[in-house]
Amino acid sequence: MTQRMLEGFKVIDFTHVVAGPHCTKILAEHGAEVIKIEPLGGELARMLPMHREERSGYFIQHNVGKKTMAMDISTKEGQDICHGLIKQADVVVENFSPGVMKQHNLDWETLKEINPDLIMCSISCFGQTGPLSHLPGYDWIGQSYAGIIDLTGEAGRTPVFGEYAFGDVSTGAHAYGAIVTALMHRLRGGKGQYIDISLVEVLFSYHEMNVQVCTSSKGQMVAKRSGAHHGMLAPVGIYKCGERFVFLLGVNHQWAGLTKAMGREDMLKDPRFSDLIGMGQHKDEINAAVEEWLESVGDADKAVAILQEHGVPCAPILTIPEVIEHPHSKARGTVRTVNDAIFGEVQIPRTPLRFSEFPEPPDLRAGTLGQHNHEILREQLNYSEQQIANLETQGIIGSKNI
Amino acid sequence: MTRKHVLDGVKVIDFSHYVAGPHCTRLMAEAGADVIKIEALHGDSSRHLPVMKNDRSGYYIQHNRGKRCLGLDLRTQEAQDICHSLIKDADVVIENFTPGVMAKYNMDWAALSKVNPDLVMCSISCLGQEGPLARFPGFDYIGQAYSGVMGMTGQADGPPALSGMAFGDISTGAHAYGAIVSALFHKANGGGGQYLDMSLLDCLFSYHEMNVQVYDASGGALVPKRSGHQHSFVAPLGLFKCGDRYLIIVAIGPQWVNLCKLLGKEEWIDDPRFADPVIRNENRDEISEAIEGWLATIGDPDKAVKILVEDNHVPAAPVLDVPEVMEHPHMVQRGIVQTIDDPKFGKVKIPASPMRFSEFPEPLNLQASGIGEHNAQILMDQLGYSAEKVAELTGAGVIGSKDT
Repeated sequence: MTQRMLEGFKVIDFTHVVAGPHCTKILAEHGAEVIKIEPLGGELARMLPMHREERSGYFIQHNVGKKTMAMDISTKEGQDICHGLIKQADVVVENFSPGVMKQHNLDWETLKEINPDLIMCSISCFGQTGPLSHLPGYDWIGQSYAGIIDLTGEAGRTPVFGEYAFGDVSTGAHAYGAIVTALMHRLRGGKGQYIDISLVEVLFSYHEMNVQVCTSSKGQMVAKRSGAHHGMLAPVGIYKCGERFVFLLGVNHQWAGLTKAMGREDMLKDPRFSDLIGMGQHKDEINAAVEEWLESVGDADKAVAILQEHGVPCAPILTIPEVIEHPHSKARGTVRTVNDAIFGEVQIPRTPLRFSEFPEPPDLRAGTLGQHNHEILREQLNYSEQQIANLETQGIIGSKNI
Repeated sequence: MTRKHVLDGVKVIDFSHYVAGPHCTRLMAEAGADVIKIEALHGDSSRHLPVMKNDRSGYYIQHNRGKRCLGLDLRTQEAQDICHSLIKDADVVIENFTPGVMAKYNMDWAALSKVNPDLVMCSISCLGQEGPLARFPGFDYIGQAYSGVMGMTGQADGPPALSGMAFGDISTGAHAYGAIVSALFHKANGGGGQYLDMSLLDCLFSYHEMNVQVYDASGGALVPKRSGHQHSFVAPLGLFKCGDRYLIIVAIGPQWVNLCKLLGKEEWIDDPRFADPVIRNENRDEISEAIEGWLATIGDPDKAVKILVEDNHVPAAPVLDVPEVMEHPHMVQRGIVQTIDDPKFGKVKIPASPMRFSEFPEPLNLQASGIGEHNAQILMDQLGYSAEKVAELTGAGVIGSKDT
């Protein structure tokens, strides 16, 4: 068995909910030893659905492969344990609101004295500096400040938000990339360092066009939400077909294929549709023609097959159950099943990083609250059973089978 | 040690175009890697995307700074020989063609792993390298549709809504970056080369931080559906109007207690109908009504955000448009917008890289190149070609360049 890529590296994990836990989950999946330190009541994700026997499927999804300790880090003893672990660690990851780690003597200034080779990564909504940095944040707060929610929804109506945490999960993936980069730097003779990752900046980087277009056009072209259809280009958008919706894109060289698929070669010759600008100016007419054709086909799967035959990029808009059941998802193993000792089987999305040397994702479990308190204190910090019992009596460490 | 940045000395051969691949190699270039971008003679199609100035694309600049450019015709044997020679000496190859295209050019993993067994090769595609959908061309939105992400966006009673930015492409580029650096780390630690199969579909699907698990674990009783401006499963989490602006309010954690007090609804704190975020969602309308009523009495969105967040620690935010984000004092102080001074295009603003390293606090000053701008330099300096040979290849149409 080949050694996994991060085997032998130790991560002390002060994260909660999604962004931080997703980062340390990827580290765990690549073989790192992750020790997650939670408050005595457990972190917020343990309260999120679904629950079975008080065990959260949400927590399982984001915390497989981690050892868990539960302790009160506002106590001196709790902080001593953390410092002891961090002294032997390679990486610390946290996603509290900025300032909280300092309150507990766990900020970078303190930790780099304890371990100069340490890599510490803070994940926050707004970053560690700047006027908003001290504010609490969630994914959708970051999306609001990054100009993303404003761009989603029907023109003239309340904006909408996508119901999935792409800001959190992808910020976790960015943090993972940055941490491995810093490990690589250290391996090549560099020092430890501090990494400051924020949701707002990650989300803002998703404007692959809007920022540049806005300033380069001197404010003439400001992106606006445009509902199901693209605001500037046509045909690009979501169209009704029978009972379902289809996404298609028929600009540039795909326009010829689309007009042929629709039996509307006449549109290809129409001078009004000769370039992207003209097509954008007549988008209502083009979108109407697409909708009329889709209505005549009547079945989304049939329409997608015809469009694919003509080289038109398109897709049926799938629901979550349809994605899970799709033959392509099955062939790729996109959905993974975790066997949890308390919860039972639970399905989660596979981590998207696929390595030829490590084709099988490891079979990892999520810890219960404080599951590894004893093991870690005894084996890594040489605490005696008596000392551990004292910490428990004083309410500094604790555990619960959730 | 005088390393200009973390990946200084890492050699990358980049066959990517548009956004997902170029964003990955942009991150590598920004971290100091030596990136050689190989383009067809007509250039990456993104060189025509807006805004154009002096025949130069601002879009291209954003995604391709810090890369040296080779322009060549991959269909010719000579061009393939050049690529193989460069790859022999490289650490990483990245490509984002539709699956199958690299094999046509003798540039697939089977071929390249023979040329350089220590190579890390990363393919980025919309739908992955195998499976029934793999052969279809894809864009960000196609991945969004197949991942169930698009279906989860929009009003419940209307069609799904398009998101106005390429979060699938950019974030897949960032995932690929993390995977590549892991593989480089593995190699530096004594492992060999390997192949990475990254797809937009996998990345987008992983963004379901809740939906897959909830659907499965509820035995299909809870089917996630788009619900517009209110979350389907937990409350309060949604968009609310205040004056002429929308605010997002998220009070699903311990902040619920503060919100109740603020709304003058202390009795809700111990009310079993509002015991946790999921139960509260069943009584969502009552909560929304109270929030909207309160916001109406405040009237001013900035004031409402201040009271909610600063004074009561209830997570909330104003919904900003892109120009407002760029001018926001926080973003200005953080340097979230980076200005590039392009020799042809002039000044252009782009989002800065979100990765901030304490050892390398200043971003490198990187420029984007024209098609084939470094043809002669790379062939002569790295592969030892003579000036005559370079001229001959140019004459034969194997390599070419254009100042665009």
